[in-house]
Formats: sequence, C-alpha cells, structure tokens
Amino acid sequence: MELLWEISIIVIKIVVVVSVVMFHVAYATYFERKVIGRMQMRMGPKEVGPLGILQPVADGIKSFFKEDIIPLNSDKPVFYLAPVISIMAAMSALAVIPFFDGFIISNINLGILFILAMSSLGAYGIVLAGWASNSKYAFLGGLRSAAQVISYEVSLGLSLVGVMLLAGSFNLNDIVEAQSSSVFGFYAIPQILGFFVFIVSAVAETNRPPFDLPEAESELVAGYFAEYSGFRFALFMAAEYIGMIIMSSLAVLCFLGGWTVPYYVLYLFPFLGAVPGVVWFILKLYACIFFYYWIRATLPRFRYDQLMALGWKLLIPLSLLNILITGIAKLII
Amino acid sequence: MEEYVKIVTRDRLYKDEMESLMTKFLFLEIVRGMRLTLKTMFKKPVTRRYPKEKRQAKPGFRGLHALVRNPETGNAKCVGCGLCAAMCPSKCIYIYTREGDNHEKVVERYEIEVLRCVYCSLCVEACPFQAIALTETYDYAAFSKQELFYTKDRLLKNWDDFMTEEKKKRYFESFWGPKTSFFRENESQATFKGKS
Repeated sequence: MELLWEISIIVIKIVVVVSVVMFHVAYATYFERKVIGRMQMRMGPKEVGPLGILQPVADGIKSFFKEDIIPLNSDKPVFYLAPVISIMAAMSALAVIPFFDGFIISNINLGILFILAMSSLGAYGIVLAGWASNSKYAFLGGLRSAAQVISYEVSLGLSLVGVMLLAGSFNLNDIVEAQSSSVFGFYAIPQILGFFVFIVSAVAETNRPPFDLPEAESELVAGYFAEYSGFRFALFMAAEYIGMIIMSSLAVLCFLGGWTVPYYVLYLFPFLGAVPGVVWFILKLYACIFFYYWIRATLPRFRYDQLMALGWKLLIPLSLLNILITGIAKLII
Repeated sequence: MEEYVKIVTRDRLYKDEMESLMTKFLFLEIVRGMRLTLKTMFKKPVTRRYPKEKRQAKPGFRGLHALVRNPETGNAKCVGCGLCAAMCPSKCIYIYTREGDNHEKVVERYEIEVLRCVYCSLCVEACPFQAIALTETYDYAAFSKQELFYTKDRLLKNWDDFMTEEKKKRYFESFWGPKTSFFRENESQATFKGKS
C-alpha cells in the first residue's frame, strides 16, 4: 500500500511536469516567432485567434494530420526509432530537475551527470535520423551534429565542475541550497567564467542559432530532419525545445540560484519573500529562454571550422582555467 | 627586389590596442548588436497586412485593363482600328470587327488575355481615341485561366467599376494624354470623319 501510494504520487508528478513542459514547448515556439518577428520589425503570427495566440494549437493539429512521408530507400527501423530516441532523451532529463523546493520527480544524487548524459544521448537521435534518411543533407546534418555535440559536451561538463566544487555536490537540490547560503546568493558572479562557457556551450549543445549547423537552412535544407514530416518532425521540434528548456533550467539551477532569491534582495524588499519559489524559477527560466531567442535574432551562423575552433581553443581552456581558479580559491578559503 | 608601395589601406577599427583588446574580450560588438535588436523589438513593425489593409495605388499605376465607355452612346469608344493590338509586345489583344447594317465598322469582339499582358501600357499610348486604359486596381486574382480572359463586356464593366470621371481625366491628361493630342487635324486636310 505504501509503495502504491508512492508510485501514484510519482505518476501524478510526471503527468504534471510533462503537461506543463509540453504546454511551454508549444508556447515557446509561439513566443520565439513573436519575439524574433518583432526584433526584425515583423509581426510574427497574428491570424489564428486573438494576436495569433492559437497558432501553436493550429501547428499541432497540422502536424498530426500531415502526410507521414517515409523515403523509399531509408533504413526503416532506424528511421522510426530516431525521433523516439530524441524525445526520450530530452524528456527523461526532466525527471531530475527540481522546479521548486521539494518538487522533483526523482531526487538522485547524480542529477547534473544524468542531465549531461541524457543531452548526449539526444545526439544519437540526430545522428541516427541523419543516417537513416539516406539523404546527403540529412547525413551531413547528422555528422555535424555529432561532432558539435561531442566537442561542446566537454566544455559544458567542465563549466559545471566549478559549480560542483563550490557546492560540493552533484545533487541539484543541494546545489541550489548551497547557492542561497553563499556570499552572492547565486553562482553566476563567482563562477562568471564558468557561466559564460556554460551559456555558449548550452546554445551549441541544443543546436540553436548561432550554432545551428546541423539544421542550417541555407546549406542543408533542414539538416538532419530534412526527410521527416508530420508528427515525427514535430517530435524532433519538441525535443529541441525541451532541450532548450532543460539547458535553461540547468543554468537557472546551477548559476542563477534556482527557486531562491538572494538574501540581500530579501533584506531590501522583505515582501518578496511571500512570492512562491516556482515563480522565481519560471521567471529566471523565461529570461534564459528569451536570451536564446535574442541571440538567435542577433547573430549570424558560425562557420563549421569557427565553431570547432571556438569550442576546442577557447571554451575548453577557459573552463579548465575556471576549474583551476575555483579549486585554488576553495583550498585557500 | 622592388619595394612595394602599400596602396590598400584599412580603416582603423579601434583607437588603440586597449580598445581593441576590450572589444575582443568583452564581446562589445556582440553586445552592440544585441542592444540594436532589443531596441528594434519595441519599434513599430513595418508589416502591411495585405488582404486586410490595402494600399491605394499611386497615380499612374498600370493595373487592370478597361475599355472606355462613351457616355453619350453608352457603348465602347473603341473603333476597332487595331493599333493597340499591333503595338502590343506580348500580342495579347484580339480584335474582331465586321461591317454593320449601315456599312459602319462594328467591333464585334475585343478580348485581352490578361495573363500574357506585361502592363507596358503601349496600347493606351497607341490608341488615337483614348479608348483603352489601365486602371489602378491590382487585386483581381482568379482561380482559372478562363476568368482572366477578359471579353468586351467585362472590360467595359471594369471601366464602370474603377474609373470615375476625375480619375479618367487625370490619367489621360497627366500620363497618357499628350501623345494623342499631338495628332491634331489640319483644317485644310480632307479627313475621314465617319458617319456619326
């Protein structure tokens, strides 16, 4: 009976998290189009419903009812499997993210490592999609994605080592607790180098512009999912946006203080203490996602060799330097 | 070895080394770009939502064709001389005439294949009777080719729908008029007047 109760609690949590996240994914596409449109002096979606607010619904219905085209010479089982791997890797990382104090599906001690592992598993979906499509564009996209994700995985992981050193834990709950009791209230200031490396690598890791080489429209049609249509295409899109949400929430949890507010802000404005933690978490998350859109609207795409040079020659040495500095500071203090 | 003279110079981007270093390390160029996009976000979009807000065409716009209706007779001004068809570079005007009961020339059919028209308005300039015009209407898309094959009735209807007297005056006087007014009749010359 006890076990049943626990399982049902977990199932309810999963339903809540998945539905909320899928809702956010739908509206992330809407806000992306809106924000980028405004930044380019356009209007963005405006026709479906007031201010185009029903556009994601229309897109969802459209992707359900579109013809599901499978290339004749594709590797069928792998072709079917790739989007599933992609979305599975993206969604299972949601399990270890604490959205506010005590709300976490599975509170494991290796939270950060689990997220990093899952985000690298997502690359399999992309590579297999590129391979199975039997198309040169998709294949090139898959290859590029593999190279990019592998090289940026290194700097992404290394940039988080500083945070782990300071907090002394892999558990995301503990990291947030450690931040709220630290001097600055969040780790973005003492870990400024790591934060910078993390932002750049997270953008590259999720294949978002300006590092969207795997799906570079102007070179590779649509990149790795050029041959996908209908709902499988929607799965890839959803995986990309969930990846964005996960990377943003990792940034919020590890560098921006998660659901907590720095103690000096609370000291100055005591009434802010009444705001529930989930609000702070979501506000910080939205800011991070807005940042994704913002750089997408601003920066042109990197060339492939520039991307690799940036990853290996700048970000990895910077993150190693960050680890060194953090380690020495930790020893001294 | 010869000394080369450096003639290609590059403008200095930064005042001194310090500024260049700061720009590189603090990503000032990216920051500047991001400031620009953020500012643009709060500006008014330049989009015109076409089917909902239509622009008035500028004077002199060459749009939908129309045959001028003679207000006195209620019929087309066209006499079927065929100059417009002869002038048309894309050969999209078809004119069929016959002899009427009183031995006058009757324009039986006057057709324009709109899909082939290039809107050069040479037909308008060629017409000595100011009998054809291009109106300011530009949205007349159709679903079939047949709908865009305009017969005489349709062209006259276009005139009634889109050309008011004032517009007509402006068009023929400002844009297309002078070329017809050059051909003035000489008093001493015998000319064909027709039986009006």
